[in-house]
Amino acid sequence: MTDLAHHLLLGFSVVLSVENLMLCLIGCLVGTLIGVLPGIGPLATIAILMPLTYNSDPAGAIIMLAGIYYGSQYGGSTTAILVNMPGESSSVVTALDGHAMARQGKAGKALGIAAIGSFIAGTFATLVLAGIAIPLSKLALSLTAGNYFALMVLGLTLAIVVGGGSLLKAFCALLIGVVMALVGADQITGEPRLTFGTQVLYDGFDIAVVAMGLFGIAEILRNLETPESRPFVGDVVGGLLPNKQDMKASAGAIARGSILGSLVGIVPGNGATLSSFASYALEKRVARHPEEFGKGAIQGVAGPESANNAAAQTTFVPLLTLGLPSTATMALIGGAMTLHGVVPGPQLIQMHPDLFWGVVTSMWLGNLMLVVINLPLIGIWVRLLKVPYHLLFPAIVLICCIGIYSVNSRPTDILMVAAFGAIGYLFYKLKFEPAPLLLGLVLGGMLEDSLHRGLILSRGSIWGFLADPMTLVLLLISVIVVASALSPSISRRRHVLAEEG
Amino acid sequence: MTSERVAMAPPSPVPHYRRIDVIGGATIIFIAGLIWYGAIELTVGQIANFASGALPKAISIILFAAGGWVFLHGLMQRGEEAERFEFAFRPTAIVVLAIVLFGLFIRGGDFGLISTPQLGLMVVGPLTVFIAGSATPQMQVRQLLILSFGLTAGMLLLFPDLLRAPIPVFPKFLQGAIPPSFGIGAAVRVLYAAYAALAAALYVVFYRMAETQRD
Repeated sequence: MTDLAHHLLLGFSVVLSVENLMLCLIGCLVGTLIGVLPGIGPLATIAILMPLTYNSDPAGAIIMLAGIYYGSQYGGSTTAILVNMPGESSSVVTALDGHAMARQGKAGKALGIAAIGSFIAGTFATLVLAGIAIPLSKLALSLTAGNYFALMVLGLTLAIVVGGGSLLKAFCALLIGVVMALVGADQITGEPRLTFGTQVLYDGFDIAVVAMGLFGIAEILRNLETPESRPFVGDVVGGLLPNKQDMKASAGAIARGSILGSLVGIVPGNGATLSSFASYALEKRVARHPEEFGKGAIQGVAGPESANNAAAQTTFVPLLTLGLPSTATMALIGGAMTLHGVVPGPQLIQMHPDLFWGVVTSMWLGNLMLVVINLPLIGIWVRLLKVPYHLLFPAIVLICCIGIYSVNSRPTDILMVAAFGAIGYLFYKLKFEPAPLLLGLVLGGMLEDSLHRGLILSRGSIWGFLADPMTLVLLLISVIVVASALSPSISRRRHVLAEEG
Repeated sequence: MTSERVAMAPPSPVPHYRRIDVIGGATIIFIAGLIWYGAIELTVGQIANFASGALPKAISIILFAAGGWVFLHGLMQRGEEAERFEFAFRPTAIVVLAIVLFGLFIRGGDFGLISTPQLGLMVVGPLTVFIAGSATPQMQVRQLLILSFGLTAGMLLLFPDLLRAPIPVFPKFLQGAIPPSFGIGAAVRVLYAAYAALAAALYVVFYRMAETQRD
């Protein structure tokens, strides 16, 4: 316990510098902004803004990018409640009861309970992250290459299965990403691989370039094909603070949401979205008056909002302790860390304690900022909703171009962004999820390396490779996960989730 | 081209060549072939110590099989169940063109097929915004002109000036003409001030003046 306090103290000493506080604040504000604006998600924003952080120190950069991520969960709930338009997929269920409350003139209460629930859940998840990190990273250090390979396979399997859409197509996207990770100079011999004789490909695919194209530009192209609809925004907000009775009614929901969200967030896959759906279902089941759900039940807002915020935080656990990103957003943040010379993985906590604990405590501080700053600012966020998209996207295009150029000063990077933008849009139209591709791109090198080393250790014997009980168990779980996802009843449920999300 | 028309029409059989699974499967098979072609000279090695060609070739085969499955599924499914492939070509081409022009002319250089001069953010910035913005029919030229110069002014303030990002601002010939005593930094500030003023002036001319005339 004293250890934990000591660590958190170290974290606060890092965060409480003027620069890092500013970066945390900027991250939270930008996150809320893009959470409010439909059509721009946290993934695209992080892809677009990643280059801007190259000038700051690594801790500050990650603090800001993390702020964008959990800040967007807050912002998403604001539009879900006020205009019945979920800004993010994780706030889809919030719209059900939140908007019903808004129509009854209780929008302020719904926004207030969402913010308070998120803050409590965020605090809880920060403690979970702080508590679980050291034991998990110690465990990770004892893993063999074969274990690591199996762990990655399991993580990628779960990410694909939870992601929704066609399993086979997601698998294809993942494999393409893995191959893209292998393009360029061979890690050992330096011989060019899959470069087709070009110099551009010899350096390999830059994750920032690929992500900006696949998510940033492709998202613009997707939005351009649907005609803009101007949201109707009412002014009725009402009192912002929930009263004692509301707090009492939602205390249980917040507690359950915090625990559920923290657990679901650790498991690979889109934790924030999944946990909000799970929490809503749970609240409806335990409620004394389940018939009120959908008609403005405050628990239907408090539970999912707490859950998605907790999950947004614990999603960092696999990345920071094992070095294995579990979602595309985490893959990007991991990529940003690597570009700053900080390799995410089990050694992270020992090698860069200031960065690790700084980021962890910044999450708690960021949540506090979100409550204190955002509630009064709701009026401004709502007004921003009225900025039409056609005035917004040219700015995004220009920021993308300048941002990616300023990283390496390579004009070819910009041409690649354009190409990946078109490819990302094509993939979307063909119903291939691009998120597994990014995970493959980030993990591909590690996947090959651990398989290679594992097979050297087992002297080329596949049975020897599988004889390690942990490797075998992890791979077996992966097989079970795939098999159950293919079973009719669960595949139907995945279908529903994909359509709602 | 638009998806609304399809949604409105009663489900009609989708011809094979327009089905997303047929096109998607073919795309994956093509990528598998590309990977195989790229890896053709790489050695595979033994299982105990596999070489650089092993994984690309193995994945190429798996992708070929998976793509083939998707392709066949698309061919076999009933015409009414298949989803039609739609692609908004015009906005995609316009946005991609805007980005490509930015890449080609920001610093210029030799791109194999063509070599280009440096035009800098001063020229390329407004151009990119203008072209990209015309991807949607909702945009009016007047709005777009204001946006082009206003946004470029903002970016010039943010990137070269505040963040000190190493990005060319002026065309090559102008850059040489700036007297060293004045300095590039000062010239950048003059430029964004001028662009901001231009955007403001255009706004007044296009919107405020029009309103007063109407009164």
